[in-house]
Amino acid sequence: MRYKSAKALSKSLIYLVLTLGAVTTILPFLWMILTSLKGGTEVILMPPRLFPSVWHFDNYSRAMEAAPLATYFVNTVVVTVTSTSLMLIVTTLAAFGFSRLKFPGRDVVFGILLATLMIPGEMLIITNFVTISRLGWMDTRAALIVPFMASVFYIYLLRQFFRKVPDTLYYAAKVDACSDWRYLWKVMVPINKQAMSTIAILNAIACWNAFLWPLMVTNSETKRVLSIGLVQFQTEAGTDYELLMAAASMLVLPIILMYLVMHKQIIKGVTQSGIKG
Amino acid sequence: MKKLLATLLTVCMLLSLAVFTGAAADTQPVTVEFWHAMSGGLQNALVALTDKFNAENGLGITINLTNQGGYTDLSTKLLGAIASDTLPDMAQVYNSWIASSLDVVIPLDDFIAADFDNYEDILPGYRAEGAEFGPTYTIAFNKSVQVFFYNKTKYDELNLTAPTTWQELHDVTKAYYEATGMAAFGYDDLFGMFLQYMLQNDAGFVADGQVVFNNEKGVEAMTFLLDLFANGYARTAGEDRYLSGPFNNGLVGGYIGSSAGAAYVKPDGFEYGAAAIPVGVKPAAMQAGTNLTMFAKDPAKQAAAWEYIKFLTSTESTVYWAMNTGYLPIRQSGFESDEFQAYMETSVVARACYAQTANMAFESAFPGAQEIRNKLSSEMEAAILEGKTAEQTITDMAAAAQEILDRQ
Repeated sequence: MRYKSAKALSKSLIYLVLTLGAVTTILPFLWMILTSLKGGTEVILMPPRLFPSVWHFDNYSRAMEAAPLATYFVNTVVVTVTSTSLMLIVTTLAAFGFSRLKFPGRDVVFGILLATLMIPGEMLIITNFVTISRLGWMDTRAALIVPFMASVFYIYLLRQFFRKVPDTLYYAAKVDACSDWRYLWKVMVPINKQAMSTIAILNAIACWNAFLWPLMVTNSETKRVLSIGLVQFQTEAGTDYELLMAAASMLVLPIILMYLVMHKQIIKGVTQSGIKG
Repeated sequence: MKKLLATLLTVCMLLSLAVFTGAAADTQPVTVEFWHAMSGGLQNALVALTDKFNAENGLGITINLTNQGGYTDLSTKLLGAIASDTLPDMAQVYNSWIASSLDVVIPLDDFIAADFDNYEDILPGYRAEGAEFGPTYTIAFNKSVQVFFYNKTKYDELNLTAPTTWQELHDVTKAYYEATGMAAFGYDDLFGMFLQYMLQNDAGFVADGQVVFNNEKGVEAMTFLLDLFANGYARTAGEDRYLSGPFNNGLVGGYIGSSAGAAYVKPDGFEYGAAAIPVGVKPAAMQAGTNLTMFAKDPAKQAAAWEYIKFLTSTESTVYWAMNTGYLPIRQSGFESDEFQAYMETSVVARACYAQTANMAFESAFPGAQEIRNKLSSEMEAAILEGKTAEQTITDMAAAAQEILDRQ
């Protein structure tokens, strides 16, 4: 009897903590959506009001009018999908090379690559910009995709996973006359599916949210991405929070949908790789 | 490389002059790339003006507007474009952005002399800013000025009037604070507050690469300002970033902010007033906002860009721009036009701006100016939050600024 009540107590405690966690996670989203439906003055009201006194659904159409969000949306999807797929291929090949293949100078090259992680991204913006413009890639999709095809951090991450795969598997495959290429795609990749999906997700989120780089390398509206649309609601003297939140709600919607559809893989990937999402 | 560029630019200049001495009709059909940082309603007004120019110029000129985000984004992108030689034909700039790269900017004096409608009509403060580096490199465009916004309902209730001097500001905010228990004052731009105070008291800030505010006058200014915060009369914008938010909700009785922010002043349940900012030994109202500058090397593009600059800065355009954005007309004739006079009847902010047109001063641009501005803003915020003494604050700020200056 006592055992049962203790169990019930611990269960209710667990649910309480989980509920609190869920509320804390959902609140910012809820706040964003509720703010997107408020009027201009109500947004900054102190003490804040949870529900709008008048529901301003027109904020969404106003936000849509302020920037060609539909075009930006298509561009963002194209850029995110292409760059994530290409990044996965490059990262997989590089990680395999650095973990399994033996060639002279392998560790030195890898060390040099790792060293580049120490250069802050801000410092690279101008030099990368110069490179892209010398290549004649200004205002092209290539400028948005190619620089993100290789990521040292992801290569490093995946290399660690690849190294954990026992050598015996490799030698067994070799005995069966399996080529390196075949071994990579038939053994390594399936074993490390979770780690790869984590990398893909992290990269997709980073792509979706990127702002400064896409702004730097594009000029025409037909090439620009969603995050740039958000600037439309901010000026040097203030911000239209309700419109900004309306646009932001539309911007995060696909990410939330992606999560709902793929949440099993995401959770697995995150817990297995120890990377916080 | 620089020499080559200089020669090239000189050749371009001569060629452009040749185009000019002909007639405006020599302007060839060209597309001019214009980078700006105007978003939302400001962008709509710019697009409307530009569409009009594109449709009516009759010279085959097309202006291609490109929004480059906010000011910081635009300046970063210009920096990259200077480094990679991919500058647009013209852009909106703060003078400090081009201070270190004047060799890529086209001086405008010859254009002004050859073909410009009454340059003297542009407000003296703007002309002075444009010629800050000697030749005229920029022409005023979206200009704002600092304005004192206050809770008129509360002021009337407490029998207070908008302060005209810093001492009055102290007394008024003290009275307001004591009567309501609420902060009475704030300044959107903390560094601007200090600079403004110094400027009005004939005290210098930076001269010839040396900090010159590390003295009695600096300490006096800082003591006065920090006391306002320490006593609770003033507050910072903090997380709200702009005081218009707390002001609208009645959490602060008044603040000094850019006239360009008037669109965000939407008080909740009270009437607001706007007045000229307080003055010290002499009046000086800080003007802000960017200017137009030209980078085009091709004479045909230069001529086309000039046509557009003339159009944007014409009395008619500047009045349209001011009435639709909250910025100010850049021309005296703009302020005096019937249209703007009628508009001022309805806009208390426009009246407060107009009252300051004779006193406008600009923040000088020098290499490192922007970095110093950012650094000292956070130094001041820290001083307010940590309750540092004025002497200590000035010493720290001077050291931080000098370090930046020495690096240039």
